[in-house]
Amino acid sequence: MKKSSIFGLVVIAIAIAVIISVYSNTSTYGSFTEARQTESELHVVGKLNKQKVLYYDATKDANYFSFYMQDDKGSECKVVFTGTKPEDFEKSEQIVLTGKMIGNEFHASNILMKCPSKYTQNKLETQEFKAKPASI
Amino acid sequence: MDTVFKGEHLLPGHIGQFFLVLAFGAALLSFISYFFATTDDAGKPASSWQTLGRIGYYLNAISVLGIGACLFYIIYNHYFEYHYVWAYTSKTLPVQYIISAFWNGQEGGFMLWIFWQALIGLVLIWKAGNWERPVMTVVALSQAVLASMVLGINFLGIHLGSSPFLLLRDFMSEAPIFKNPEYLNFIKDGQGMVPSLQNYWMVIHPPTLFLGFAAMVTPFAYAVAGLWQKKYKEWIQPALPHALFACMILGTGVVMGSFWAYESLNFGGFWAWDPVENASIFPWITMVAAVHVLIVFKNTGHSYFTATFLVLISFVLVWYSSFLNRSGILGETSVHSFTDLGMFWQLVTGILVFLVMSVWLLVSRWKALPITKKDEETYSREFWMFVGAVFLGLSCFHLIVVTSIPVWNAMFGLKIAPPADKARLLHYNIIQSCFVFVIVILTAFTQFLKYKKTDVTRFFITTLVYLVFAALIAALITYATGLYKLNYVFVLLMWGSVYSVIANGKILADAFKGKFKLAGSAVAHIGFGLLLIGALISAGTSTVISINNTGESYSADFAKTENPRENILVYRNEPQKMGDYTVTYLGDSLALPDHFYKVNYRKVDANGKVDEDFTLLPKVQVNKGALASSPDTRHYLLHDLYTHITMTNSASTAEEKGNGADGDQPADDSKEYDAPVPHEISIGDTIPFREGYMVLRKLDKAAKLENIPMDNVLASVGAELDVVTHGQTYHAKPVFILQKDGHVFFFPKKLEEAGLKLEFTKIMPTKDKVEITVYQQPESAKKYIVMRAIKFPYINFFWAGSVIMVIGFLLSIFRRNKELKPEPAKVKAK
Repeated sequence: MKKSSIFGLVVIAIAIAVIISVYSNTSTYGSFTEARQTESELHVVGKLNKQKVLYYDATKDANYFSFYMQDDKGSECKVVFTGTKPEDFEKSEQIVLTGKMIGNEFHASNILMKCPSKYTQNKLETQEFKAKPASI
Repeated sequence: MDTVFKGEHLLPGHIGQFFLVLAFGAALLSFISYFFATTDDAGKPASSWQTLGRIGYYLNAISVLGIGACLFYIIYNHYFEYHYVWAYTSKTLPVQYIISAFWNGQEGGFMLWIFWQALIGLVLIWKAGNWERPVMTVVALSQAVLASMVLGINFLGIHLGSSPFLLLRDFMSEAPIFKNPEYLNFIKDGQGMVPSLQNYWMVIHPPTLFLGFAAMVTPFAYAVAGLWQKKYKEWIQPALPHALFACMILGTGVVMGSFWAYESLNFGGFWAWDPVENASIFPWITMVAAVHVLIVFKNTGHSYFTATFLVLISFVLVWYSSFLNRSGILGETSVHSFTDLGMFWQLVTGILVFLVMSVWLLVSRWKALPITKKDEETYSREFWMFVGAVFLGLSCFHLIVVTSIPVWNAMFGLKIAPPADKARLLHYNIIQSCFVFVIVILTAFTQFLKYKKTDVTRFFITTLVYLVFAALIAALITYATGLYKLNYVFVLLMWGSVYSVIANGKILADAFKGKFKLAGSAVAHIGFGLLLIGALISAGTSTVISINNTGESYSADFAKTENPRENILVYRNEPQKMGDYTVTYLGDSLALPDHFYKVNYRKVDANGKVDEDFTLLPKVQVNKGALASSPDTRHYLLHDLYTHITMTNSASTAEEKGNGADGDQPADDSKEYDAPVPHEISIGDTIPFREGYMVLRKLDKAAKLENIPMDNVLASVGAELDVVTHGQTYHAKPVFILQKDGHVFFFPKKLEEAGLKLEFTKIMPTKDKVEITVYQQPESAKKYIVMRAIKFPYINFFWAGSVIMVIGFLLSIFRRNKELKPEPAKVKAK
């Protein structure tokens, strides 16, 4: 067998390994009900319940923000975010949370929100908030 | 649509639109003419098709300038009837940012790309010689496709492109305001540029990045020309310097973006594996790989297919990355909020044009391609350079697979989410580190191999020596920086990077002794190695120093399960301990739209001596009620201290408060304070309050007040108080006035910094006492900032490495360009 054929096989093997590893590392979109049944982090898409209280008081705890969100299936859950309240959070139209359920609270490590754009009423813009900065 | 609108300036828009159509038409004409110049007039020295092609291209270049001039004119004159002007500028926008308003929108980004590509085409017409006809066919086609993206016209029912000259009333034709013929009277100002873009990086980063994208067209055009004209081998030599140039500029552009993110956006780092960031480096990685195999082919005749394929795919990836950024498909996964302009299918077509062209050429010419049947020697430079290029390709492949998850979802109806937050970073960092580890090792030992055949024993001995030496240094670095606490892959990568720097350092030393030709690659590889060392240490061991465990816990579980919190609350003028530092929020300074916060850092050593004392000015920008914060960074040689405001209660209220709050307005502000506390005191007595004390020094019997007529005043007494709080002393003089008609007035004194309002409320001559009423702000009404501070160690390696790598590319361009000069003679000799 030629060296280049062996090398070609190695490359194909690595490529397959990459795809498998990506696939196994992907997360899923789910609902709060599904989040209750799993230990791993997942994405939940939903809307902020604007009737219920949004709690953030920097003077009490600068790293505690909680609110209530309704997921796509309509079930509601208290969400806790370890960080500061994102600006304009009240105006958000859609929220994508990343996190997991702890007890009866959903602990989000990342909030991606879509706000009505500041520029035009018919465009949406996206903003992301992380509990922690990027690191290895 | 019979309404006649008043006050609009439609002429520049019409001219601009005319130029847009002309630019597209001229590019198309140039493409067709060059095509026939290549096919029909092949071999003829003079060709009327070629002349026509040139004319078309010149016309296109002139139109591009015309579009630029019209766009500048409407922006400069604030014609808000144009959507582009209204959306991205305002009357208060400083002049230097009017330039960057050009490329604030997507249409402007395309314009910038078209402009650079027009310039590149002109250079090629001037310099490319025999290659002009086929190469310019491709460049003109690319120019026509790009121009179609900004056309903004309906053609046979299909909407083509999005024009920068679109009128606001056409953009939002539904809005009732546009029923009014005098609607412009109501649009006084534009939306303005997002404050975070009002930054000098916005002026230089996009042009560099787009020049990099545009430069990718040249090697692609040469490759296509070579396959098309069956000059399979000849295209490589002239394409090489262009490929290097594209790598150098695109690399610079990406690093600039990374520096911008680090310096003035609140990403909390220099790289976040954001889909948009990833997309911008796809073509860079593949073109760097291509450069290596192009050199292999030039020297040995091996790796022809890989070289051609990588050059072709790089340009297709440029289009793929614009598709990802501009089609809106990344919506749910990216911070970069590029909105959909309704050009999804046009962008897909853009990719397909160049993809199909590449595939068709490779397939139809397959049998004629100069692919060697012979295997490379194992101990030859060409073999390992080829392996390196393939690994670069694999690294890019991985990035594409992950970044394109939304594309896979759309294509196959899947519903998978990208790796969740923490897993995502780890996933990217570990897999990419594995690939890069292989690549850096190759960048080092391959330098010691020779083309074709190498003396094996000597090679193994030198390699071993360098590897061991590198292992020692890497071990030291890993231990000193604490990198060993992380995944072993990062330690391995550190070893590889150090090895690459040392080995290439040796090559560089040789270069100075005479083999100067090799300097370019050595310098570029050293730069790459340093960049990785910097990235590994600073991202891997960056530490948040604003750790805050003082917040009230909302449940005991919460504190247990969550890591330390990273935001710290600092009240104004109350020093707060943070790590080794004492931080104090000293105050604000306003230069709208920027609101700066003075944050003082002090570090005291064991003997009580002040070691460091500096003030950072992180800022928050107030824009239409929303706040955007930018960090400020203290740079040291070996680390950076980064500070950014995550929350504050003083920015939004500051503007309104500043107006009438200074005493002379008896507005009811009692809600801002706790219940007043009266104190009866004599001169020299002390009043304690929650955060300090105050002393009544003396009474000023003839206190004067501005703006108050004194003729009706019987007595005016000021109480001179020294207020001591948090180590600061303030002077305050509230005044008590008794008028001749018996009325009494108090003129209170506010001490914003101390959160106090003092009122002189009574004089009791019989007791020889006075009454001072103290209003104190509750904790929650005091001004505060919530901030996050991060220490990035050795980040300067990252920046220095980037700069060195760019210098390496530049040296290589000079070398390869020099090799070009005697080309005609060489070709004949063969």
